[in-house]
Amino acid sequence: MKKTVAIMAALAAVTLVVSGCAAAEEDTTSTETAATETATMETASSVLDSVKEAGVVKCGTRDALPGFAVLQEDGTHVGFDSDFCRAIAAAVLGDADAVEMVDLETADRFTALQSGAVDVLVRNTTWTASRDGGEAATFLHPNFYDGQGMMVSSDSGYANVSDMNGAVVCVAKGTTTEGNAALESSRLGLDWEVRSFDETDLILEAFLAGQCDGWSSDVSQLTGLRSAYPSGADALLILPEVFSKEPLAPAVLDGDTQWAQIVNWTILATIQAEEFGITSANVDTFASSEDVSIQRFLGLEIASDEGSAVLDPGLGLPADFAYQVVKQVGNYGEIFAAHLTPLGLERGVNSLWTDGGLMYAPPYR
Amino acid sequence: MTWMRRNLFRTVGDSLLTIVFGALALYVLWGLAQFVFVTGRWEIIQVNLKILLVGRFPEELLWLVTGSVMALAFWIAAAATSSLTTKETRPSLGIRIWHAVQRFGLLAATGLLLIALAGDVASVIIGGLILTSIVMGQLVGLLRRKIAALRTISSWIWHLLLAAAPLAMISATLLQASVDLWEGFLINFYIAIISIVLSFPLGVLLALGRRSALPIVRLISTSYIELIRGAPLFVLLLLAGVALEFFVPSTLAPDKIFRAVTVFTLFTAAYIAEIVRGGLQSIPRGQTEAGKALGLSTTKITSLVTLPQALRNVIPAQIGQFISLFKDTTLAGVALNVLDLLNVGTAITKQEDYLGQGLIYEALAFVALLFWVGSYVMSRESQRIEKRLGVGQR
Amino acid sequence: MSSLPSAPPKPPLWRDTRVLRWAFQILVLAIVAGVIYWLYSNYQTNIAKSSIPTDLRFLDNPTSFTIPGNDLNQSQPVRDAFVQGFYNTLRVAIVGILLTTILGTLVGIARLSKNFMVRLVATSYVELIRNIPLLLLLTFMNLAVVLQTFPRIEDAWLPLDLFVVSNRGIAIPWFEGSGAILLAILATALVVTWLVVKIRGRVSDSTGKPARSLVWGGPTFIVLMIGGWVLLGYDWVLPFVDDRATSGGLRLDPSFFALLVTLVVYTSAHVAEIVRGSIQAVAKGQGEAADAIALSGGQKMRLVILPQAFRIAMPALGNQYLNLIKNSSLGATISYFELTQIAQITVGNGSPAVPAFTLTLLVYLMISLVTSVIVNIANRRLALVER
Repeated sequence: MKKTVAIMAALAAVTLVVSGCAAAEEDTTSTETAATETATMETASSVLDSVKEAGVVKCGTRDALPGFAVLQEDGTHVGFDSDFCRAIAAAVLGDADAVEMVDLETADRFTALQSGAVDVLVRNTTWTASRDGGEAATFLHPNFYDGQGMMVSSDSGYANVSDMNGAVVCVAKGTTTEGNAALESSRLGLDWEVRSFDETDLILEAFLAGQCDGWSSDVSQLTGLRSAYPSGADALLILPEVFSKEPLAPAVLDGDTQWAQIVNWTILATIQAEEFGITSANVDTFASSEDVSIQRFLGLEIASDEGSAVLDPGLGLPADFAYQVVKQVGNYGEIFAAHLTPLGLERGVNSLWTDGGLMYAPPYR
Repeated sequence: MTWMRRNLFRTVGDSLLTIVFGALALYVLWGLAQFVFVTGRWEIIQVNLKILLVGRFPEELLWLVTGSVMALAFWIAAAATSSLTTKETRPSLGIRIWHAVQRFGLLAATGLLLIALAGDVASVIIGGLILTSIVMGQLVGLLRRKIAALRTISSWIWHLLLAAAPLAMISATLLQASVDLWEGFLINFYIAIISIVLSFPLGVLLALGRRSALPIVRLISTSYIELIRGAPLFVLLLLAGVALEFFVPSTLAPDKIFRAVTVFTLFTAAYIAEIVRGGLQSIPRGQTEAGKALGLSTTKITSLVTLPQALRNVIPAQIGQFISLFKDTTLAGVALNVLDLLNVGTAITKQEDYLGQGLIYEALAFVALLFWVGSYVMSRESQRIEKRLGVGQR
Repeated sequence: MSSLPSAPPKPPLWRDTRVLRWAFQILVLAIVAGVIYWLYSNYQTNIAKSSIPTDLRFLDNPTSFTIPGNDLNQSQPVRDAFVQGFYNTLRVAIVGILLTTILGTLVGIARLSKNFMVRLVATSYVELIRNIPLLLLLTFMNLAVVLQTFPRIEDAWLPLDLFVVSNRGIAIPWFEGSGAILLAILATALVVTWLVVKIRGRVSDSTGKPARSLVWGGPTFIVLMIGGWVLLGYDWVLPFVDDRATSGGLRLDPSFFALLVTLVVYTSAHVAEIVRGSIQAVAKGQGEAADAIALSGGQKMRLVILPQAFRIAMPALGNQYLNLIKNSSLGATISYFELTQIAQITVGNGSPAVPAFTLTLLVYLMISLVTSVIVNIANRRLALVER
């Protein structure tokens, strides 16, 4: 009798547990709708609120890519991507140094974003459809339109990618370069052996030892790496072919539209500033500008018949965010010139639309 | 000569073996000596000694680390010499010194090597301070044996008092210097010690659970142990690296060390469970029956009779598990990018001044030396403890 | 007459041990279930904030990478890549276990040799390897040996003109032709040789003349193998360097080579200790009895000591084999495309992390369980029948 009671009680406990799991299961079988429902039902602590509360913007970056993000001895990061992190901090919190740079490995850059360990990912990451969908990331306006290229040693005898029949090509694990290299190999019928490594350091070791014939990555990365090569930049040759589109764009987590727009307009502000000719040096002289579009842009008072007003488009940013960004960090051209031009990278498609490039900011009004 | 004839040249075949292996050994030793003393470029180790040993530990707080090591040395020396049960007849001073050299020679030599590599006055002073604290510890222990008043304090209280010094120093270090900056050899020890301490109670519980007569408890324990023992530690660390934050409430932001310690604890608990279970199985049934004859409840029998004996019997195996764990902490370096000794060792070869010069041999040799000395000394101490406890003989 | 004692009074519910035991178990179950449920609900909450899938549909996505050494097309689904990774793990595991057993046994026996020099070398080897971390050894093999010591392909070493050694791999002479048929020839030769040995044994039992199995069996095997080789038109293919790659022969991927050597060296040191311990555990009387009937050293080892030693060593050896299989997961750090490397790559390419790694763990678990079962069967067959 007691045994039966005990067994019934055990069964009841197990059923309770299983039904609890099943209930949770049903929540997620319909992923899309459930996600939005639970998202709205969650305590709506938006990223903007948590950033303001923390007083810092947590920016996912990396520690050793010349030109884009390099960790200095004193703990600061210097580079193209690092400047955009600081620009976001300047825009949201008014202080470009209110940023916490979180060094991420390629393998956990998206999981860090997904778990909330970083607020924004500015880590020369390519914007692709599957990342938009599968990694729960929302990509913003690209800050660098790049392409994938191939780097070989100068004495290898290769002049074009099509020369590299049967070559060993080294790439980084888990990046778009891997798939593109394989695709390119089959497209050109070249039968490459593609080896993938955890980090750039390991590729460098293998390349130095002669284990790789070619090193494939974004052209901007290759340029940076070439400039820091121990045997000198002339020992390496970047082949002329560019075999994929690699728009590098910052990313935020899906679901917080306000935060996404904030980051987006911060990037666009740097482009717009360059279009207006506003630099960090001369931004203060524009305080007395009569041009209405510049007044709107910099958050200045716009005199009109009804009195003066400051434009607030309702993004959640302070009115003078663009001023803070340009003053504390610079416009797009300045950022590019400070970090990427020394590596030998030309503006190319990253010029303003007025110069025939792709950098075009929608009007701020 | 007779010894040589008997051991090296007994038969023709034997002599051949001697010559071949002897030549091989000489070749390797000669190459090694050349590497260490002649062709090795040890500058890379000398320059980076601090980050290899303690990573980015703040310079101004390094005295805390020295203090902790001193306190630990003091404690161990005092605890060892204050034992009241040593035999009355002690061998002559010469023999005692020889024993000490045998036992601590390797550690002392490594310490001297580190001082030689550091090459500055500060490290000599640190070495001297550690030596002083060892001697002081021995004096304190000696005091306890000689002074009658101190002899009356119970062992427990005495050892607790002694342990206060290292505990205080280590707590101070933990509080003052953020664990984020503990890297290098220090973090290997840190992760290993915390994991073994945390995993021990869990392991004992699992072992008891696996031997329990209650079927559900046995099922849960067995499944946990078998699941963990079938999984590679590396994959578990990778999983924790990307997934741990999903399993804890989002207010907790697990950092790398937290993830590493969690995985190592859960992993080691399963192996400790198996070791303890083996120990429990080796206790003769007569012990349990005697306990029952005395009218003790099952819990009392386990906690007072079987478990203490079992734990004492498996101390060597547990130390072996700790050594394994200590070596496995290097996996946290590649899986979670913790900057442990091995990770720093490979990283320094990529510094600007040293990139592309093939210095990986020197770096790995140094790392291997530190790990080897640590593991070898610990396993030798474990053998000593095994002999002293008379495991397997009583 | 005193009446029969009545049944002892039933203790109250809260003192009845049977009830207490079940109550305790239900409590434990509830706690464990509660913890699992808490973890699971945390997971669901955190995952629901983003639309990351938590099922195994990612297995149908195209891989978008290729695996060197086989023809995986990058539009094939991810599950094919996992299968390839699984095969690669098995490859290194099986070859590794074979080599480890051989090397470990030899070193274990050497540690007990009467020759001082042999003993010294073996002991130093074991003590050195056992006390350093596996990852250190692997890093050393990869960075120091393969990348630094092995030459570039242009200056490849050509030992004996048969092998090509460079940091792009080691090429060994290989046969040209169907591998399956060669295996069939091998199997036939082995069977025939075994028959010959058995027949010789029976002849020797009945006539008392020495069996000389080696004299009969060895040539039989060699003749059959060579005969089959020549008759079916097999030929050796020697590797050579051909413009930054090797042609001909079988090329061992440098990462495979580094991983294999590391695993074999590391695990054989542990196996050597186990073998040594088990040889010492064989009763001394056995060795003395073998000496008494004038068996030579080799015969004593082969016929008396080793069989008994293996019986003792089997469980511990099984453990070491499991360790080798689990340690093969470190191949991911040196770009060897075994299971963990595949999992890492697909996760980096957008597969959801938790399902992918959980799947990997389950595969390793399955491999471990199967190996345990095999070892247990071997153990039981070798075990002494106790009366």
